[in-house]
Amino acid sequence: MIRIKKVDNRPLTLLERLYFTEVAAGMLVTLRHFFRNLFKPSNIVTVSYPEERLPLPGNARLRTRHRLKVRADGTPKCVACYMCQTACPAYCIDITAAEYNDGNPAEKYPRGFDIDLSRCVMCGMCVEACPEDAIAMDTGDIPGGALTREELMMDKRELLRNLPGEPSLLGASTRLHNEWDRKVKKK
Amino acid sequence: MTLPIPDFILLNKGPLVFLGVSFLKVCVVFGAVMGFAALLTLAERKVSALMQDRVGPNRASVFGFALGGLFHPAADGLKLIFKEDFVPRWGDKFLFTLAPLLALFPVLLLFAALPFGNYIDIAGLRINLQIADFNLGVLFILAVSSLAIYGAFLSGWASRNNFALLGSLRAAAQMISYEVALGLTLVGVLMVYGTASLQDIAQAQGELLFGWLPAWGIVYQPFAFLLFLAAAQAENKRTPFDVVEGESEIIGYFLEYSSMRFASFMFSEFIEIIVISMLAATLFFGGWQVPYLQASGFVFPWGTEIPLNHYLVVLLQVGSISVKTVFFSWLLLVIRWTVPRFRFDQVMTLCWKGLLPLALLNILVTGVLIWWLA
Amino acid sequence: MKLKIDGKETEVKPGTSILGAAQAMGVLIPRYCYHPSLSVSGNCRMCLVEIEGAPKLVTACSTPCAEGMSVLTASEKARAARRDVLEFLLINHPLDCPICDQAGECGLQDYYMEHGLHKSRFPQTDKVRRHKRRDIGKHLVLDNERCILCTRCVRFCEEITKTDELCVRERGDHSYIDLKPGARLDNDYSLNIADLCPVGAFTSADFRFRQRVWFLQRTPSVCAGCATGCPLEVHHKDNVVYRLMPRPVEGFPPWLCDEGRMTYKSLRAPGRPAAAFCEEGNLKPAAGLRFAASRLGKLKPEQVAIFGSPFMSLEDNLALAELAAALGTKNFCLHFNTEPGIKDGILMNTDHSPNSRGLALIHAVYGGYTREQFSERLASGEVKFILGRNEEVKAALNAARTDIPSSVFSFSDEPAPGRACVLPAAGHFESDCLFINYAGRLRRARAAVKAPEGVLPVWQAADRIASMLGAPIRLETRAAVLERIKAKIPELADAPLADDTAEFYLK
Repeated sequence: MIRIKKVDNRPLTLLERLYFTEVAAGMLVTLRHFFRNLFKPSNIVTVSYPEERLPLPGNARLRTRHRLKVRADGTPKCVACYMCQTACPAYCIDITAAEYNDGNPAEKYPRGFDIDLSRCVMCGMCVEACPEDAIAMDTGDIPGGALTREELMMDKRELLRNLPGEPSLLGASTRLHNEWDRKVKKK
Repeated sequence: MTLPIPDFILLNKGPLVFLGVSFLKVCVVFGAVMGFAALLTLAERKVSALMQDRVGPNRASVFGFALGGLFHPAADGLKLIFKEDFVPRWGDKFLFTLAPLLALFPVLLLFAALPFGNYIDIAGLRINLQIADFNLGVLFILAVSSLAIYGAFLSGWASRNNFALLGSLRAAAQMISYEVALGLTLVGVLMVYGTASLQDIAQAQGELLFGWLPAWGIVYQPFAFLLFLAAAQAENKRTPFDVVEGESEIIGYFLEYSSMRFASFMFSEFIEIIVISMLAATLFFGGWQVPYLQASGFVFPWGTEIPLNHYLVVLLQVGSISVKTVFFSWLLLVIRWTVPRFRFDQVMTLCWKGLLPLALLNILVTGVLIWWLA
Repeated sequence: MKLKIDGKETEVKPGTSILGAAQAMGVLIPRYCYHPSLSVSGNCRMCLVEIEGAPKLVTACSTPCAEGMSVLTASEKARAARRDVLEFLLINHPLDCPICDQAGECGLQDYYMEHGLHKSRFPQTDKVRRHKRRDIGKHLVLDNERCILCTRCVRFCEEITKTDELCVRERGDHSYIDLKPGARLDNDYSLNIADLCPVGAFTSADFRFRQRVWFLQRTPSVCAGCATGCPLEVHHKDNVVYRLMPRPVEGFPPWLCDEGRMTYKSLRAPGRPAAAFCEEGNLKPAAGLRFAASRLGKLKPEQVAIFGSPFMSLEDNLALAELAAALGTKNFCLHFNTEPGIKDGILMNTDHSPNSRGLALIHAVYGGYTREQFSERLASGEVKFILGRNEEVKAALNAARTDIPSSVFSFSDEPAPGRACVLPAAGHFESDCLFINYAGRLRRARAAVKAPEGVLPVWQAADRIASMLGAPIRLETRAAVLERIKAKIPELADAPLADDTAEFYLK
């Protein structure tokens, strides 16, 4: 919607040109804020960020810190296909692939999965690129200040932290894994 | 220069006593001023924060106690000390070092002439509560404060930087212009009290007009007070007259300065706020006078008398000037965070076409009134 | 013989297939089973083209050109046929691209993007399931699910290596690639099958999951594994070599032997020195050179021996020869006894050194002892210090049954106990260098990765040592070395040494 605000460009009156009255009027405004905030600090809008946080609007528009999803049995859904690393415009993802030796048909898993949050631009391309639905940006954590760069380096352990496993049918490797898992459990 | 009576008595006790007492007074005033100026740097940020619905600095803490940001001045000082002390390669190194000192010392020197109380009797001595009582105190203040122009100008010149030089040209032009207006606004006060000694002016404001109204300068010269406030703010180069340096937007004369050299410029600005506040209090708001407080105690116009101890009276007087200084410092901060910046041509127009003729008019009217009443 | 392809006239020799004729014109017809070095099988049906007047589409790979033929490679009919073929191939393909190493260089992916782009009409759960991740040989992993049965691998084993390990089992929908009973896919060229395979059925066990192919940079180089000197491509990323691939060059078969493909491993071998190991302890490479120079400087010229090597490049040997001349020693050997020849009829050479012909050229110009004479000199006891390549100094000392203090250049993790100084040297993946293969063909290698900090190629190290000894040989830059090669060696006087593309044979 376009709104039009008419600016009154009339010449100043004598009282306004004298300036002192206008200064006094301006000071009335600032002083009102000053004294109100002095005696009633609850009006202050500042949020002392790391200690206080505003509730986040919980919807799909929000992209927060990454996490790696896990399968029902706790193994990471990620198969180290490097699609996120390829899609990442900020070059902040670094994966090292390894092979399952226990007969898991998913074959491949990430031995290392590092995200450098100091480089990340929170664009969500990694989530879009993931063919296995293994990475998500829904932790509600907004990566912000840190005292050292190391604190902003997230490794696989941190990315997999405190999350429940979730059964999923998305992704070919996940499907293979689920079939195998059922077979192993039957035996 | 004739010495006023209390110091004359002191001198009779021997030069050592005089020197010792003077040294003590210098230490006390210097400590109080530096401490207050440091707090003022915090106050500026806190006051502006409150005016803008913010919290302001509150993070610097010692052992987990932040005390509402009370440690920020110390933290700022520490930070500035450990910053790189940069000197431009092609600049004039001697003048570059001299300039911040020239900005800081004249401002500190001004406190020599500002009275912070009447006198105190202690151990058989009567000590004047003023470091040096000049009978031309107002002129001394005008003269010394104009020395600060050298600091502003030399810093731009010695930096060998075109932008710094332009900034210092603006600073010099503005300070010299407002020097004139500032001096003329004070002439009215001098005419009313018939003296240029600040202690005498303060004492004269203890009298009562019509038997009940304290004879403060604001009563005689309300218009001159407004002019003084404007001219002094401009002399101090603070918003709305900060076009000479303009903190974040315009490049000013201390562009090349870093570390404690830069800090001394900033600090002199804050000390100048105290000077202006104290001067305003002394000339227009009775200085150290408390209404109806005589040397013996309170004497109210309706006849009630409350006799008070001498030391209590001295405490009340020193407290009076302190409260007034704090109030005016706060007022200057509020003005600085309320009024937007003038363009440079507006600054000069205001001085030469506004303040100067008005100050002259004020002198004329004052003269006519004095002649008519006499 | 004249024909029209996509409306353009062209002329080909009789017997050329339509696919070959189109490729000569720059029209690429999609294919899976066709490979220029293998026999034509015509089973994948991907190369179907339309011939005007013919009732049915024909396979371009197996149909020879005929006079006056008019071929349409991209007609509506041909494109529809390809799309349908691709859809058939993908019905049972597992779509596990995320875990497949072929992703990025996969025929199915490429042609799907080019010709398919259809939605699958078959549910994922109904796909035919087969063996995955089968260990069938030393170097290969087989995944039968991904296979599209183009039989390139079977034909390779039948026609190129003639070892015949693979076959297609069962019929029709049930058919799959398998080993013949009792066989294992362990021939010397097995990794070529991973390259041949257009999909991810055969993948290399060595490269498995190490890196994604689209990240890799490619640098043309040559194999230094034997005197054949096959052209190859170094695939590397972030200063790490991940694999070696054959580089198609006119006149060379497009294969590499498994042994040659593994030569990159010495670069990152854990025992490979990146610092100089001296009697004084571990030094930085530059300090190691200074140490070697100081040891050399204390001796008379006739007490010093310099040992060239057919395993080092032309530049390195030239610089060592120049160093010997500058020092004024007669004790130098630039000789190597060899009888090169292809031993298995494909690529592998009886001579394991990449540069014996190059060394012979330098020997012819600079002289010096033969290997036998050099061994006698060492045994005589007059020589007090040797400078040369680690492996060869060791062999020479063993042959002469003596032990003489020596400075050795080390390119690999080969241990060098008891040497006065082991100097790290940049190998041929780390510096530009020249070899001459057994057939007298000039081979150029480009530096693909950087050597560890301070590690120099041997020619540069020899130049530094000569300068420190006050006998400069003026070989500071590679351009200077190439100039010197042209000036000193008459056979190479007009060789295109710096040009990557021009071919050159010794006369």
